[in-house]
Amino acid sequence: MNALVPAPSVPALSVPALSVRDLTVRYGRAGKTLPAVDGVSFDVAPAETLGLVGESGSGKSTIGKAILGLQPPNAGRILLHGTDITGASLRQRRVTAIDLRAVFQDPYSSLNPAQTIGQTLIEPLQVLRVPKDQRRPRILESLAAVGLPADAADRYPARFSGGQRQRIAIARALVCDPQVIVLDEPVSALDLSTQAQVLNLLADLRDSRQLALLFIAHDLGVIRFLAQRVVVLYRGQVMEAGGAEDVTQRPRHPYSIALTAAAPVPQPAEQARRRAAREALGVGTAGATPPAAAGCPFATRCPLATDVCHRERPPLVLGVACHHADQVARLRLPDRAA
Amino acid sequence: MLTYLARRLAFAVTTVLAASVVSFLLVHASSGSPGAITAGAGATPAQVAAENHRLGWDQPLVTQYLTWLGHAASGNFGVSLIDGHDIWSDLTARLPVTASIAVFATLLSGVFGVLIGVAAAVRGGLADRSVTVGSGVALSLPQFWIGILLVYLIAIKAHLLPATGYVAFSASPGQYLQSLALPVITLTITGTAIIARTTRTGMISALRQEHIRTLHALGTPPWRIRYVHALRFAAAPVVSVLGIQFIALFGGSVVIEQLFALPGLGQAAQNAIGTNDFPAVQGVVVIATVVVVITNLVLDLVLGAIDPRVRTA
Amino acid sequence: MRVPRALRTAGGVLSAAWLVFLLFASVTASWWLPYPVDAQDPAHTLAGPSSSHWLGTDELGRDAASRIAAGSWISVGPALLAVIVAFGIGIPLALAAAEHGRWAEHGFSRFAELLLALPSIVILLAFVGAVGVHPWAIMTVLGVLLSAPVYRIFLGQAQSLRTRLYVDAARVNGVSSLRVNLRHVLPAMATTIAVQAAQLFAISVLIEAGLAFMGFGPSVPSPSWGGLIAAASQHVYDDPWLMVPTGVVLALTVIAANGLADAVAGGREREAVPARHRKPRTIVRAASAGPHDAGGMLLDVRDLTVAVGGPDGPALVTGVSFALPPGTVLGLVGESGCGKTMTARALPGLLPEGVEVTGGSVWFAGRDSADRDLAGLPDNELRAIRGREIAVISQEPMVALDPMFSVGYQLTQPIRRFRGVGRAEARRIAAELLGQVGIVDAGRMLRSYPHQLSGGMAQRVCIALALTGSPKLLIADEPTTALDVTVQAEILSLLRALVRTTGLSVIIVSHDPGVVADLCDEVAVMYAGQVVESGTVAEVLGQPAHPYTAALLAANPHVAEGLPVPERLPSIPGTVPAPPDWPAGCRFASRCSLATAECAAPVPATPVHGAGTVRCVHPLSSPAELPVPHPVERGVPS
Repeated sequence: MNALVPAPSVPALSVPALSVRDLTVRYGRAGKTLPAVDGVSFDVAPAETLGLVGESGSGKSTIGKAILGLQPPNAGRILLHGTDITGASLRQRRVTAIDLRAVFQDPYSSLNPAQTIGQTLIEPLQVLRVPKDQRRPRILESLAAVGLPADAADRYPARFSGGQRQRIAIARALVCDPQVIVLDEPVSALDLSTQAQVLNLLADLRDSRQLALLFIAHDLGVIRFLAQRVVVLYRGQVMEAGGAEDVTQRPRHPYSIALTAAAPVPQPAEQARRRAAREALGVGTAGATPPAAAGCPFATRCPLATDVCHRERPPLVLGVACHHADQVARLRLPDRAA
Repeated sequence: MLTYLARRLAFAVTTVLAASVVSFLLVHASSGSPGAITAGAGATPAQVAAENHRLGWDQPLVTQYLTWLGHAASGNFGVSLIDGHDIWSDLTARLPVTASIAVFATLLSGVFGVLIGVAAAVRGGLADRSVTVGSGVALSLPQFWIGILLVYLIAIKAHLLPATGYVAFSASPGQYLQSLALPVITLTITGTAIIARTTRTGMISALRQEHIRTLHALGTPPWRIRYVHALRFAAAPVVSVLGIQFIALFGGSVVIEQLFALPGLGQAAQNAIGTNDFPAVQGVVVIATVVVVITNLVLDLVLGAIDPRVRTA
Repeated sequence: MRVPRALRTAGGVLSAAWLVFLLFASVTASWWLPYPVDAQDPAHTLAGPSSSHWLGTDELGRDAASRIAAGSWISVGPALLAVIVAFGIGIPLALAAAEHGRWAEHGFSRFAELLLALPSIVILLAFVGAVGVHPWAIMTVLGVLLSAPVYRIFLGQAQSLRTRLYVDAARVNGVSSLRVNLRHVLPAMATTIAVQAAQLFAISVLIEAGLAFMGFGPSVPSPSWGGLIAAASQHVYDDPWLMVPTGVVLALTVIAANGLADAVAGGREREAVPARHRKPRTIVRAASAGPHDAGGMLLDVRDLTVAVGGPDGPALVTGVSFALPPGTVLGLVGESGCGKTMTARALPGLLPEGVEVTGGSVWFAGRDSADRDLAGLPDNELRAIRGREIAVISQEPMVALDPMFSVGYQLTQPIRRFRGVGRAEARRIAAELLGQVGIVDAGRMLRSYPHQLSGGMAQRVCIALALTGSPKLLIADEPTTALDVTVQAEILSLLRALVRTTGLSVIIVSHDPGVVADLCDEVAVMYAGQVVESGTVAEVLGQPAHPYTAALLAANPHVAEGLPVPERLPSIPGTVPAPPDWPAGCRFASRCSLATAECAAPVPATPVHGAGTVRCVHPLSSPAELPVPHPVERGVPS
């Protein structure tokens, strides 16, 4: 575990805040298309931040949608504080899932341009039938929590920058005092300096409010900053799961290694070394061959792939789903000179 | 692709059947009955009832419909209640009249409309404004009004073309064209306006696309960008509108045919409805719907040929 | 109360005024008409306009103006009813279909297609035949038939609106579906509804007039516009004038309805074609005078200024200078709004509509001749350079290719134009280029269409396309931003290899310093339209001299390996100033922790890092000079 990110202060054996079991989601008809999410399982402990990382086609956004009830799963279960909410319609979730809120990616389409900020923030309170006299104070409280002044409530989204809009989206998630928040790529559309501001805010909320956060992203650096644990996805399946520091610094799956190796760092000499090592890995080109229906989804690109990899899906053992986990060490990028 | 066509075909058949059901119900909803017509003006109720029985009017609706369907499938639409003429042969004789107008008007509208629309889009400025204003005016006047005006100016005052009447191609090609000229011109004015607008909007939208920027960055000559790439991109909505035009001309030919005294399907429809000639009404509706669905099918094929995204989906 | 957009233009006001006048006139007709509608005047039949009868009289001596006015409501009202019925059916069905997914949509859409296929006039006539002539009932049926196209139009809109994230957010928050539709989907459709309603109204008026013309309008003595025209047509020999007033009034009504639609749409219709696609006009700026010593540089940009709408308009880029030796890669790095894209696009003259180069020069060492100042060249000369000597690849490879043509066609056309070869040879060269960009199955790729490609494949094709002219300079505008990180790594490797094997020079625009570190030899950091620091990649990224560069690098969550993750990321307070708000002095001063009074004066570019420059009064000599990270910023909305 990353020593600097505060560990959750709740004992590990309590009921997970959010639990996903064997989740499968398919777009289109079975047999015609491969599932977008294929048998994914993970837990988020109370007050823990879990990072869900992957590239396009990994299924990470679909998992977020399934958890939020926007995309019905074809198989598997979703549990909130131990209660099964899998088949619950959005109406039923009004009661069963009031603790679960969301923050989405695009700051420019996540706020209704025809409503003031106040109207946007009041809506969840209206749904919960919070007493009218409590509504305005709670809106102001959540605006303050994200660092926005009270008069923001009377303005329209067009007056705010991308970073400010994301804060408003976070305020909308906070206004109902949730315990679990799903964040779907909340900083991906922001500039570096704005991203830093919003990440700092999320870190503050993580530490002060004991929230369970499911943080979906494609950027390992961001995940490492914010999350305590990480799940790496590829084509709808879990490739690796473990502590954020471990997975991002000492990955144990060929795909995780490829992913960490691919992200460029702004130090030229360092980057040159990484590039050489990455090219030496011998990972196949993305998109060159169509995905296989059986076996490990990464087999068509993996330098360690053998017959068994193309036939059988590797089980998740000790946080790694690889038939040749023992040989992965020789793939790893050499540690830099101290 | 084949399954797609098969599904469209099945849907087309369903549509024709549905149309026949709708008109069948409408026909039966009216207050008259066929017996009243065939028995004549001074007939007694008993005579009317006897005629109705002879014509099968008192049978259950479903039976009547299925009987009609059975006959229609073999090309027998029955005979007119008014003068006993065979409906199928009458309608097929009238079809070329309406079809000639629709085809000529659509073709001319397409050619002129695309030329004008592209010119407006490419030149901009005054040319563009005048096309917008001109098409706006052309589309605000009812077609029959324009038709009357043209009849007055060209046929009556200038004696250049015949005001009314139709001459078959087989009788005299020259007179055939002359008899069609005024109706086609009338319809082409409106049609050109619509096509010009669609083309203009389509071209403007096409020229804003990102791939046009790529071509520009490659130094592609402007004529190629406009007339090969942008036009192809804008073609799909233009073809769609041409198809709708053609269908509208078929369905809306009633007014024009009355104005120019052309013995087409529109006249047949009006006569049949005006005289409560039930089998004729059924026949006209079915024929008109068949034309519509065939046009739609052809449209689908053409769109597939133009746009690869439709083809390989 | 805000004035509705429709009434802000002259056209909108006139249209609305006409329609209101018409309505008012027909409703109050009996009070102000000079003549009762039925009053006949046998002495003055079929008369032209006169002082007693402004618009003439008809065949029974009845006053034309009175009859037209009296007939307004019955000619227009039922059309309004048709529109209300069409929208009343079409929109709820569209909303329902968009919400309930596949099966509902299939059902409704098939039904709509059926309605659309029925020959409407014939159905209407059949309806008339069945129940008789009742204009209101007939137009209700028309409304039902018209609900099908309304459904189709708004289904697409509703589906697209439902993909907006604020709809998802409302649904997740448990908002009921009725409320989601009323508060989130419908308001966004308001403009389209108004436009389509006005257009449909115009169509309905014309259809109704047509029916009345055929005798299916209100019964004989009471006037309707179509009926009036029918009567007038009987007497076109004797009194051709009689046709005119009714036709004009009808036309004005239709024009007013469409005019209102246009006004509501906000004048989108009046948008013209981008200037570069019209016939070229005069040159904007004269070329820079005098010979130029490039010193062996491929590209020498001096003091470039780019502004909107001419030299007096707001500037987007000011005083940008950099030089590019052949075979090197330069990175333009900065955040959104810093002007890096405008700078890159200004070089081959590919700025968007209304934006121009208003100062400075762009010296380019062309293939055959001496250096030329690209900024002063007319478009047709620049066209000769584009593709052949300077090529561009952009951010969204999927839409950068023409969806209507195969990849093979799009590659062979420029090859034939640039290299003057025939079709077969062009195809061979195209396959070779595809191989060069790492595409294995070239044959299949040549036959494919852009929509069948993934992002990475499409970008490779775009790079191959850029290479068709064998250019010396490639401008890459955020080429990997839209791609996955592993795909990005492959594309960057590809670009490196191309630079090495073909001696290509590249200018790459990016917001990611990591990309710059991977690919570039030199880098220029941009902020608010200026280059604030430049030099080699090692110098600028390793020892940033400008506080902004240092802060930007510190805000990057990708910390070097081995270093622990910070508790909080150092962030820069405030936001980037927009062009109108740029101060005369240092543009970063308001956000800089080292700012002093001297920073208010214009800051020149001073040498640093050997051959680099920095625009700062207090350049950093070591990164440690930058103060401790700031707390979470309490931003104030502008």
